[in-house]
Amino acid sequence: MSDRETIEALIGRVSLGDRAAFAALYDATSGALFAVCLRVLKNRAEAEDTLQDVYLRIWNKAGRYAATGHSPMTWLITVARNLAIDRLRARRDGGVDLDAAGEIAESRPGPEAAAIAASEGRRIADCFDELPQDRAAAVRAAYLDGASYQFLAERHGVPLNTMRTWLRRSLIRLRECLSR
Amino acid sequence: MSDLEHIDDDDSALAAEYVLRLLDAEAAAEVEARLVAEPALRARVAFWEAEFAPMAEALAPVAPPAALRSRLMAEIAGESAARTAPRGPARERPRRPTRDPAQRPWSWFVLPPLTAAAAAFALVFFTTGQIGPPPEPAFRAEIASEDGSLRIAAGLVHDDNSLRVVRAAGAAPAGRVLELWVIAEGAEAPVSLGVLPEEAESRLTLAPEIAALIPGGVLAVSDEPPGGSPTGAPTGTVRAVGPFSET
Repeated sequence: MSDRETIEALIGRVSLGDRAAFAALYDATSGALFAVCLRVLKNRAEAEDTLQDVYLRIWNKAGRYAATGHSPMTWLITVARNLAIDRLRARRDGGVDLDAAGEIAESRPGPEAAAIAASEGRRIADCFDELPQDRAAAVRAAYLDGASYQFLAERHGVPLNTMRTWLRRSLIRLRECLSR
Repeated sequence: MSDLEHIDDDDSALAAEYVLRLLDAEAAAEVEARLVAEPALRARVAFWEAEFAPMAEALAPVAPPAALRSRLMAEIAGESAARTAPRGPARERPRRPTRDPAQRPWSWFVLPPLTAAAAAFALVFFTTGQIGPPPEPAFRAEIASEDGSLRIAAGLVHDDNSLRVVRAAGAAPAGRVLELWVIAEGAEAPVSLGVLPEEAESRLTLAPEIAALIPGGVLAVSDEPPGGSPTGAPTGTVRAVGPFSET
């Protein structure tokens, strides 16, 4: 059984209330989902709290997975990232911690790009290469760090609407590249 | 897929912005309303979710703390018991509130992991009938302190709302007593089940509304001043925690 089939089978059993399957799913995927939460929140306690919510949501919503048509990791990651961003946006300052934002990649992704290329994600890594570096970094910051238009505009020193236009154009270019 | 053949740039970008959580609340709500009715837009959202996810997959995994796993499994066990419990008053399961860390029920204590030794003790304990004569408890919990020195098993008998308790190992520290607590599913705070007498085996008679908290709840034990906690909440160290399961 491939990894994907295994994770998918576990999600199926979880949807039937199988707690052993849920524990196995947690053991197989919690490292990946915790990494997502940590990257968005940059705060260990909040990431731990969020991870608890993530897996409780997986426990309760596993029955909906099949209808999404996603691969299992895409679904799990999407659940985790959305809850982490909810939490990020609920902070009093409403967003990215600029002091901690040193982690936001200004330049090429680096080692992660190799990992992406090695997995099913080859396409997005290649398509990022076709964008100007700072545009690719902005898309990555939005996805991985929960950066808002406000944050990105301030970081680049441009008006909000300029950043919006830049990003929408970049996304259209990405879409064209990915559909080739 | 026919609904992606004609690529609408605006909708593609909008779907990506939606997935990236770049839209403001109003714009996101508009997209959500459209998603209900427009399969093509749903397909675009799914497209971006799938295309972006490998970025997250490429992050180096980070192991969460073991205590998180224990808490999670205990909470799942509590929910499962609540789903399957046939008896007791009809309880509406509270909707999980948005987590404010200050109100998090588990901030009371860290759940000690149930070690293999403690789990084995529990199995032997109940099957040898040490808890006393029938009737069989409807819900039971077996808890142990992290170092295994304190081990307590408790079983609720529905007929008379009595909690049979066996202190299988350990005791209260000198000059203190042990008090049992139940944390009901979704509750903010523990409710006292009573102070344990000195005998190793005892029976606590519970008020019906307290017995009702046990299905889907969690058992905890703390050490308290003589006579029990003066405040109605644990004041001493919580030494062991574990879920009640349906037998």
